Amino acid sequence: MKLGGMFADIWHALWRKPATEKYPFEKRAAPERLRGALYFNPEKCTGCGMCTRDCPADAIELVTLDKKNKRFVLRYHLDRCTFCAQCVETCSYDCLGMSNEQWELAARDKEPFTVYYGNAEDIQTFMARAAPSETDAQTK
Amino acid sequence: MHNTQAEKFIVPMGPQHPALKEPGHFEFTLDGETVTHAGVRLGYVHRGIEKATEARTWVQNLYLLERICGICSHTHATAFVLGVEKLAGITAPPRAQAIRALIGEMERIHSHLLWLGVAAHEAGFDTLFMFSWRDRETIMDLLEEITGNRVNYSANVLGGVKYDVQEKHADALRRALDFLETRTEHYLEVVKNDEMFLRRTRGVGVMSRELAEAWGVVGPTARASGVARDVRVDAPYAGYVDFPARLILQTEGDLEARFSVRIQELFESYRLIRALLDHLPTGELVKTVPRRIKAGETVSRIEAPRGELFYFIKSNGGDKPERVHIRTPSICNMSSVLSLAVGHPLADVPMLLAGIDPCFSCNDRMVLLKQTARNGAHADEWTWEQLHQHGIEYYRKQKR
Repeated sequence: MKLGGMFADIWHALWRKPATEKYPFEKRAAPERLRGALYFNPEKCTGCGMCTRDCPADAIELVTLDKKNKRFVLRYHLDRCTFCAQCVETCSYDCLGMSNEQWELAARDKEPFTVYYGNAEDIQTFMARAAPSETDAQTK
Repeated sequence: MHNTQAEKFIVPMGPQHPALKEPGHFEFTLDGETVTHAGVRLGYVHRGIEKATEARTWVQNLYLLERICGICSHTHATAFVLGVEKLAGITAPPRAQAIRALIGEMERIHSHLLWLGVAAHEAGFDTLFMFSWRDRETIMDLLEEITGNRVNYSANVLGGVKYDVQEKHADALRRALDFLETRTEHYLEVVKNDEMFLRRTRGVGVMSRELAEAWGVVGPTARASGVARDVRVDAPYAGYVDFPARLILQTEGDLEARFSVRIQELFESYRLIRALLDHLPTGELVKTVPRRIKAGETVSRIEAPRGELFYFIKSNGGDKPERVHIRTPSICNMSSVLSLAVGHPLADVPMLLAGIDPCFSCNDRMVLLKQTARNGAHADEWTWEQLHQHGIEYYRKQKR
């Protein structure tokens, strides 16, 4: 490298802002297509369960409360999710999507990593029946 | 006095070593500073992925195989989907094929820029390392913009791609390419003219064309030795059928040639991406692929940033593959490092290793057992029962 070029580089580098971002203090807007946490819209869900079949990480479970009245609860394991968006691709009813806002997902304990989606009422019914589902998990 | 002539001085390197970011164990026998023998032990990041594919559906395997390598994740997924589509007798729509090639080229750019940084760092040229990694962020941001992730883009699905490239992406990409082009010209000049750098690269690790062919070297490492071999040119796949790639060839075969070939490949990638963006076919993105794939077997070859990536896929007609075998480019190139190291000073070895752009996670498709006569077996002949027994004993020992 020529010596002049080196000095020019040094001169430019002196007045340049750092290339890195001061992340926790300054946040850049996430790209539109960023694959963050999964969200679920129970309105259109038919309970076909294709999302759970295609998930490579076993991160989603669909619990059917009442198939006739289309009452479903989706249990989403954030800690298992690989954020590949295959479930979003698979869903023919447009019920699933990945948020580009929720991507700071670190937590100190395991509790926030299990997320329940569905109508508030359905989730309550499901939680009331939580005991059998716990034993289900154990026998698995 | 003891006889120093008969003594061997062996320098072990790794599995944990500051010069290598991934685990691999090397043993160099030295005579003074000169390497007289080199050996390698791989397999520290063996994850049993090939076996794991047999327990997952075709769709799930896509994401498992993508995670073989963090740098060339897209090529692994592309090789797999192309193989599965071939088995199913389906061709993805032209727009999807072009987008596959486009993301493949973007991946090549980020991989080569990453490599340039790593190789410069091994040579002690940390300024170049910082510069090239800073510029690499441009392409990483765009990959995130188009696919939603910096690595493991998951752009492929069976039968097509998930993400479309819109006009705004194309504009951003064109602007980024203009910037990267000027930067790459600067790097090519540095690599070819910097006196200090040339002392580390010119005439070091010379591999003749005959040797390269005999060792079965692939990718840019082979092309730097005059072996005209590039899957994109020899057997075009995906978007490369309509958008042919040019072969970059150099005949010197030393480290400088390997630098120059990779940097010139960057220019070729810029040209290809511009051509792809200008003439992106219109149409749909995905074709439906059945959940059960017709019985049969196929091979699928892809030009990964490091060379030829080879997939063998066998289906028995079910929703899971019966066998997936993968041969990655790094394993083909590894033997050349060991042979080339002999006769070079130890200080050149990290550069020689960086020269093939090794990826250890890709490498570790199998565990090599040191050839000892165990279980009454012949040194290099094991029956299935003996292997099975060895596995049980090995894990029992680990547990203790």
